[in-house]
Amino acid sequence: MSEVEARLWTALTEIEDPEIPVSVVGLGLIVAVRYDADRREAEVELTFTSMGCPAMEFIQDDIRERLLREPEVDEVLIEVVWDPVWTRSRIREDARARMRSLGIVA
Amino acid sequence: MTTTEVDELAQKSEDEVREHLAAGKLVEGLAHMSPQYLAGIRRILTVSADTELVSAPAYLRAASHAPALNNFGSAVSIIQDELAHAHIGYRLLGDLGVDMNALIYEREPSAFKYPYAFDVPLDSWHELVLANALYDQAGFVLLSDVHRSSTFGPWKRALAKVDKEETFHLRHGRTWVKKLAGDPAEKRRLQDSLDWMFILTLEWFGLPDERKLHGIQLEYGFKGMGNDDLRQAWMAEVVPFMTEVGLNVPAHWDEDLDRYVIDCPFPAQFDEERRRWLLEDGAISWDEVMVRWKGRGPMNRDYVARLQRGYRSRLEAAA
Repeated sequence: MSEVEARLWTALTEIEDPEIPVSVVGLGLIVAVRYDADRREAEVELTFTSMGCPAMEFIQDDIRERLLREPEVDEVLIEVVWDPVWTRSRIREDARARMRSLGIVA
Repeated sequence: MTTTEVDELAQKSEDEVREHLAAGKLVEGLAHMSPQYLAGIRRILTVSADTELVSAPAYLRAASHAPALNNFGSAVSIIQDELAHAHIGYRLLGDLGVDMNALIYEREPSAFKYPYAFDVPLDSWHELVLANALYDQAGFVLLSDVHRSSTFGPWKRALAKVDKEETFHLRHGRTWVKKLAGDPAEKRRLQDSLDWMFILTLEWFGLPDERKLHGIQLEYGFKGMGNDDLRQAWMAEVVPFMTEVGLNVPAHWDEDLDRYVIDCPFPAQFDEERRRWLLEDGAISWDEVMVRWKGRGPMNRDYVARLQRGYRSRLEAAA
């Protein structure tokens, strides 16, 4: 992972799911992050907890807006992927603890 | 099964309840309740559950105007949340000796206890997203207050998740209002709807404190803030947001008074057919408002009939 990519991952941890106050990284929605220095382009592979996720547009808007604030990024490409299939095992431990404290079984 | 009498179910005295609360303990069930506590918590839970329930047919009607399939999905998901929130309230009422089926499916439409605002039809996508920004904000202000202050443990705990889901509804409303306000033609449509919806939501918080009927709500900690403060808390969220996106609302922050001030006659007469406030006729009394509320509005019978149709047709088929 490049230094820029590491920073993009950190930036993504600031984006909360619109319904549950844990980040899209904590929830396991981010599958991959790549940075193309020549094109100054960030590419994100993103999945959702379900194909009928009601917040798909909001989450993509938030990711685009946040990554464009990084000085190295002029373009954000988001690819929605369904493989790997999202399961609860993709939730990170700290996010799981936060969700439990809100009464959400995860 | 019928709804059981409060005196039979709640056998603590009023003094015992006061002592229990003064010791900083929560009320966990019937064993901790006095008749007045039980009657009071039933009343506020019924208002809350009825409000969540009726929002479903009201929002579904408006969701049919969704501009795209994805947007329809978001709206339907919000409706599903509202039904789940209603279920929480009715479930708790069931634990408190109320016959849930009778309450939901056998009550007359006029006996439902939700705010009058939901009786006025929402007829466009603009009005759906404004309802998310205005009505759900009102619900959020009220439920956050209950979450903070309620002395009834089971409800207080259930609201942690409800609050989080409501933030999605607000986000949905605000994102769309902002987007539509960026286009001059869409903005005019928003403003036309906001003109009647804003004042209707101001009414949502009920009578001013000087005329409040349920003083026990504060004493027993069913809620923490009075109606005037709740109305202020709602304006503190809505007025700056609408101003920021360039929409006009008849209220502003007054530096000298240190509070939000309403800039139109309030309360006022409402023409429910034309969905228009008769502000030119000046302010009316709260007694007159209560006559309109008690008479319910145009969609009351239709919405309740939709909610009860399946249950009733099954009963008729069995008979």
